[in-house]
Amino acid sequence: MSLPESMSRIVIVGTRSRMEDAIEAFYKLKALHLIDHTTGADGLSIGMPMSKNAKASERLLKVRAMEKELGIAKNAKTPKVPVDEIRSQINADSVENVENEIMSVLDRRNDLNQRITELNSKKKSLELLGPIPVDLDLYSGYKTITAIVGSVTEDPTDVLKTTGDIEYFVSFDKKEGGVVAVFSKNADRDKISAILADFGFTEISVPEGKGPVNEILAVTDEKLVDLNGQLESVGKEIEALQMKHQTFLKASDEQLSIEIEKGEVPLKVAVTEYSYIMDAWVPTEKVENVKNELESKLGNDIYVEFQETRGRKMEESEEVEDRYKKVPTKFNNGKITKEFQYPTKLVSVPKYQEIDPSVLIMIFLPLMFGFMVGDCGYAIPFIILGAYGLKTTHHKDWRAIATVLFFGGIWAFIFGFLFFGEALGMHFVTSDVTDTIWGGGVNVTWDMLLGVTFPEWFSGMLPFGHGVGKLHAVTLLLKLSVYVGIVHLMIGYLCGFYNKYIQHGFKEAFIEKGGWILSFIGMVILCFVLTQVMIVEDASIVIRGQQILIVTAIGFVMLIAGVIINFKREKAQAILELPGMVGNILSYTRLAAIGMSKAGMALAFNYIVFGMIISIQNGTPGILMLIIGILLFAFLHLVIWTLAILSGGLHALRLQFVELMTKFFEGNGTEFKPLKIKREKTILTTENINKEV
Amino acid sequence: MADVGTGLIAIGAGLAVGLTGLGAGMAEKDVGAAAVGAITENEALFGKAMIFMVLPETIVIFGLVIAIMAIFVM
Repeated sequence: MSLPESMSRIVIVGTRSRMEDAIEAFYKLKALHLIDHTTGADGLSIGMPMSKNAKASERLLKVRAMEKELGIAKNAKTPKVPVDEIRSQINADSVENVENEIMSVLDRRNDLNQRITELNSKKKSLELLGPIPVDLDLYSGYKTITAIVGSVTEDPTDVLKTTGDIEYFVSFDKKEGGVVAVFSKNADRDKISAILADFGFTEISVPEGKGPVNEILAVTDEKLVDLNGQLESVGKEIEALQMKHQTFLKASDEQLSIEIEKGEVPLKVAVTEYSYIMDAWVPTEKVENVKNELESKLGNDIYVEFQETRGRKMEESEEVEDRYKKVPTKFNNGKITKEFQYPTKLVSVPKYQEIDPSVLIMIFLPLMFGFMVGDCGYAIPFIILGAYGLKTTHHKDWRAIATVLFFGGIWAFIFGFLFFGEALGMHFVTSDVTDTIWGGGVNVTWDMLLGVTFPEWFSGMLPFGHGVGKLHAVTLLLKLSVYVGIVHLMIGYLCGFYNKYIQHGFKEAFIEKGGWILSFIGMVILCFVLTQVMIVEDASIVIRGQQILIVTAIGFVMLIAGVIINFKREKAQAILELPGMVGNILSYTRLAAIGMSKAGMALAFNYIVFGMIISIQNGTPGILMLIIGILLFAFLHLVIWTLAILSGGLHALRLQFVELMTKFFEGNGTEFKPLKIKREKTILTTENINKEV
Repeated sequence: MADVGTGLIAIGAGLAVGLTGLGAGMAEKDVGAAAVGAITENEALFGKAMIFMVLPETIVIFGLVIAIMAIFVM
């Protein structure tokens, strides 16, 4: 069974003066999962970050800000830069120099933007004032007169006419509103404002300037064109800067992040004046290797001591100090199973002391997906898409989907070819089964469509000589689904038993999970008897007469025994859960149901295309009808295909999550995260590959 | 021309699927809303939320089984 890898705890003690070299060595091992030290318990406090971290953080902040300002995408592709080169660049204040260069351009851009905004608002005011025949310099500069200028939504002319002691200009257009300028005595200002307020008056500030408004407007426009031109050229400069510094910024971002991460390691370990002490989890098989590596690199400046290899018994983990209780889970999976860790992690990371369900998911998820799709025609695009996805994408979500599509597609092809014998909802071989329930439509098959006869061995290979019809052999498919369900659930229960066995021993496992297994088997037997009694026709009856009584008795005894064992732990739950077991088994009938629903849709679509549009019964179709038919055929099957991803994928996943994993999976583990560095934008040269990571 | 019995079986099958569909929909409405809320707060809950989300689906499957049995077995 696939338990997480066995883990051991070690203590590393070293001299503080060589801590930096030691940290490099730790990262190189890629096998140390640090246990955080908590200040207090043993009188030791945690260390301080490396002194160079402050400078590095400051630089990283600058680099990130520049990346953002220049609009460098997060996943921008840049060549790898040798570490030595980027480090010497950073140490030679390249970050600061690049910042100065970029900031001066950015400042210019901001300046231009500000001026353009100002001019634009000035232009807007001038355009408003355009219709009023007053020079710009005449709006201000009076001692006793004030100018009230603004836009209005209604025409105030009539009211202004009757107001004495003012000079006014109004330009009004019913659609666009208007502008009004009133010259009055300083003292009357409030009165005029109050009058104008009734007409939706909004005051505008008159821009400074001399001469007629239109002339000034023209000058402003010219300035705007000029500034926009400058802005454009600054934009190009920024683009050029982005191209020029992209590689440097990306590489220094990565290099600085790595330096900071390494520099923060002392925060997790205990330090004294001259030494440091750290605890770590190491995969058991690597303990010796870790010890030798560290000692060969640091000689007398380091001492590694093996503490314990943690077993799977829960008691072992309960006796120890709090911070040693939780053991990190290192998945112990092969290349293919690794791809299926994703669905497991969606629920939770397995505990150190339990089975990792990824293997079971790897077996059953594609199998069930394939069974539900069960059609060569849909399988081939799935396989192609899945293979393409696995080859190109590195994003874990997409990879997970591509994995299911690829392996599910293979199963779908196997089922579609050998079991159902169909592609795109049509059987390969014409069947002579008279269609009673779904009659009326045209049962199109590939040999009929292509006008060929498949060889004898081909139809001989398929069940019933033409494959299992999803809409005909319903009882068979339902039965098959239920059997799959019983096996699947049984595996779940057995895994649960095994988990408890390694955690607490056989007795505990029997009390906790054995009862469920017994009552599950009892329930299955009773249900089987029930179907035997209920079915009227003779062919499918396996047991009869006296046998029924015996089998019923066996089932009943197992069920009761199971309930009694469970009752000790679960109380009334032991009885209440029994119908749930039947529910769990019946839940697998979705395998048949979804296959049927897709077959039903395909039947209807094929009937529309071949029965109604192309109409193969009435001789050769017209060319136009043929084209329409083929296009429609492609589109409709694309719909089914897309639905197959959703319904097939989700339901297959659900059967793993709900039916299977709830039987044994507890989760809530911590994932094994060793100290390691992944370089994407920088690269180690041959000289320093031995010294650092 | 089908007899009345066949018609009643068809109606029964339709009711079985339709009503269970409604039931599942009502249940999933609440679960779904809560699940989306939970996921927005903590994306790591996606897997667990999905488990709860699809639990009521089984009701429809039961309905479907009954319907299929009504049509094919009876």
